[in-house]
Amino acid sequence: MFAFLIKRLLWLPILLNAVGIITFALGLYGPGDPVEVMLGPRSNPEAVARVRRELGLDRPFFEQYVLYVDRALHGDFGESLKYRGQPVGELITKRLWVSLQLNLASLALGMALGIPLGILAAVRHNSWMDFLIVAVLVAIISLPSFTITPILSYIFAVQLKVLPAGGWEGLLSKKAILPVIILSVGPAAVFMRQTRASMLEVLGQDYVRTARAKGLSSRVVLMEHAFRNALIPLSTIFGLILAGSVTGSFVVENLLAIPGIGALGVDSLFSRDYPVIIALTLIIASSYVLANTLIDLTYQYLDPRIRIH
Amino acid sequence: MPNRRILIILGVILVALAVMCAGIGAAVLFFSASAGVFTSQVPAVVQPQTAPPNTQPNQPQAPNVTPAKPQPTRPAQGGAPAPSGGVSGILTIPGGEPPTLDPALAQDSTSAAYIVELYSGLVTLDQNLDIVPDLATKWEISDDGKTYTFHLRDAKFSNGKVVNADAFKYAIERACDAATASVVADSYLGDIVGARSKLRGQTKDVSGVKVVDDKTLQITIDAPKAYFLAKLTYPTAFALDRQSVESGGKTWASNPKSAIGSGAFKLAKYDLGQSIVLQRNDQYYGTPKPTLNEVHYMLSGGSTMTRYQTGELDATPVGLNDIDAVLDTNNPLNKELHAVEPTMSLFYVGFDVKKPPFDDINVRQAFNYAIDKQKILDVVLHKTQLPAKGILPPGMPGYNPNLDPYPFDVSKAKQLLAKSKYAGKMPDITISVSGAGGTAAGSVEAIVEMYKQNLGVDVQIEQLEWATYLNDLKGHRFQMFGVTAGWIADYPDPQDFLDILFHSGSRDNNFNYANSQVDQLLEQARVERDQNKRYDLYHKAEQMILQDAPIVPLGHDVEYWLVKPYVQNMPFPPMIIPKLKFVTVAK
Repeated sequence: MFAFLIKRLLWLPILLNAVGIITFALGLYGPGDPVEVMLGPRSNPEAVARVRRELGLDRPFFEQYVLYVDRALHGDFGESLKYRGQPVGELITKRLWVSLQLNLASLALGMALGIPLGILAAVRHNSWMDFLIVAVLVAIISLPSFTITPILSYIFAVQLKVLPAGGWEGLLSKKAILPVIILSVGPAAVFMRQTRASMLEVLGQDYVRTARAKGLSSRVVLMEHAFRNALIPLSTIFGLILAGSVTGSFVVENLLAIPGIGALGVDSLFSRDYPVIIALTLIIASSYVLANTLIDLTYQYLDPRIRIH
Repeated sequence: MPNRRILIILGVILVALAVMCAGIGAAVLFFSASAGVFTSQVPAVVQPQTAPPNTQPNQPQAPNVTPAKPQPTRPAQGGAPAPSGGVSGILTIPGGEPPTLDPALAQDSTSAAYIVELYSGLVTLDQNLDIVPDLATKWEISDDGKTYTFHLRDAKFSNGKVVNADAFKYAIERACDAATASVVADSYLGDIVGARSKLRGQTKDVSGVKVVDDKTLQITIDAPKAYFLAKLTYPTAFALDRQSVESGGKTWASNPKSAIGSGAFKLAKYDLGQSIVLQRNDQYYGTPKPTLNEVHYMLSGGSTMTRYQTGELDATPVGLNDIDAVLDTNNPLNKELHAVEPTMSLFYVGFDVKKPPFDDINVRQAFNYAIDKQKILDVVLHKTQLPAKGILPPGMPGYNPNLDPYPFDVSKAKQLLAKSKYAGKMPDITISVSGAGGTAAGSVEAIVEMYKQNLGVDVQIEQLEWATYLNDLKGHRFQMFGVTAGWIADYPDPQDFLDILFHSGSRDNNFNYANSQVDQLLEQARVERDQNKRYDLYHKAEQMILQDAPIVPLGHDVEYWLVKPYVQNMPFPPMIIPKLKFVTVAK
């Protein structure tokens, strides 16, 4: 297992390099220029050329890239081109932390809701409860966040005045309630659907019937025999949602005034803020690699028949 | 039991539909009954220069709007008393994340709005946009119009240090230092003798800036330019305390310890992405003295409208989607609405006059007559613009209210089109606009539809993301462009619109427009020192440009703000000027 882990981690720098080079190339050879964006409609080729030189944007591709990697290895991810003088690390970490807290809390809440409901729906297969659970969750997930966010904030903030309409003071404040609930809807529905599907599959297996025939209590049959085997597909979903939690959520963060990573990412694309774009891409890429490694390790734990090399 | 199952399925579908309808119902209810939640606080990528709000004596023609507050007394030079002294408080308003708080680097209105409160310069703009003394009490201009001698007043930075002539020399040379990498130093300071060679790294100092003594500063420019003083109202030329700047490293301007200025407020706290807190600067020399203790800017955007309704914000701009709701006199919020006169902006359809079919003046004029501006502004833009009849916005000195060369007139448009050399054989036309997403802005679609209906001409829409749009605009790759992106004044002088956009030698002349008579008028106006004669020259030039029709002027931005009744004297200037010192909060 350790060999596997080391092999995976050795892949990481190769992968990050590939992602880095692609992002760099797209930025450099794609249309648009950060300095031109700074100047806006007012053009001044002389100033653009001077500032590009000063910021090192006129150097050859590989020189820029090697310089970047060298600095990054020393913990310096450069300075933002839009927010002049701001170190990228500082700009990103604070927002990343906010998004991460928010998304992890939503993931936890989503699982806490989705998995029990999924089991319930599977056990009561084809009953009214099954239909109700599926229908309600599908209906809620069908409402996009840009619809559900203003509706909830109108009801709870403007009309009932029980929750603030936006802002951020940490996960343990009243301001986090609304975004966590909204962001947990997606994971809840996905977990419910997947739990229900894999439980149904497992419940039809021979070994479950055998377990029942042995006279085991239905709780033991469900939790020990059925649920554990149903967990494998769930761990895949868990890993992917976990990896995605570093990307933030543009819509919800924007509407609820949460200083997360979502808006920064979109904004950095429009202003061609390369250092921020690259740092974000690398963070997201590494989080997917790590999450996938984690999933593979979990597989082995959940199902000893799965061997990883 | 198949019947029972079908019944259950039907029941569940009904429940699901009910849930969704309840959602939609609530949404409808909430968009119509209240002022809604969406505001335009989503980062404005299309027009990065968010235009400032505005106030001027004459009010916009938008209906059902309580007039903006009466003007606070003009900041009379030399000491009007502070208004109703003693009322103090905290003002909480939404704000954009400033790309920079460094006066030398600011190139956008979001940054400038903070900087003018924190720092100050030799001259400033009053609420009528007249240039008035600030840190300089008076100045003389030499007979050749090239040398300005400024006499400084007794003033201190917020750390108690005296503002002297060196503070300006340092600030100007720092802005022109290649290592500062300012994109705007060329535009605002490039007229000063020696500034360009300093920018190129050829000289160590800017020879045109001379410290005569502690209280006297002399600036020499390369040619007599009547609009030079206006450029000094912009942050690039604001006074800086060298020691503070140098002690703070690269992020000096966002650190309260090193961000030392001479403005009415000082930086107390900057939480990236979250909030900026300004505190009253007790060392402030100007009048009126600020009465607010603190101003809290909430940076993370969000539904500012909802947060205004819940009382978390004391004032907020109103987004496009909410305007109809708040303009309704039955809405209680209507009483808190302040409509402000057009900002110093112009939105237009531009033509490249060298590309067919716009190389024919008849086509360009026909395209001017064929647009019903009022309809677009009423229906699509919800009165967030005033129709533009000429090029200069109404608040601009030298504005000509008597222009209206192209009223909406379909038959005239058709006649002109029939007269053109492209009659009956119109080449393909594409309008390039800046924007993101699947559909073009409503105003673009409306214009295209009007050309189709009124002229029978098909115009294709090409939508480009902002950075690409700018790149192609400067490369003269567009045939027809604009609408969602326009021009915003940097300083209140007609030169900033007419000369920069339409002189044949200007880099920002995106129209490929050249008229030697217009060039001549513009060149005369640059050096004319009699303001009235200057404005006459600009009037003539503007008329000739409109006659040649390289553009279809569409509108000037109007902003709407909701302000709580306990916030008083909030000015809505058409440009960025220091304004917080006028505001009082009596909560």
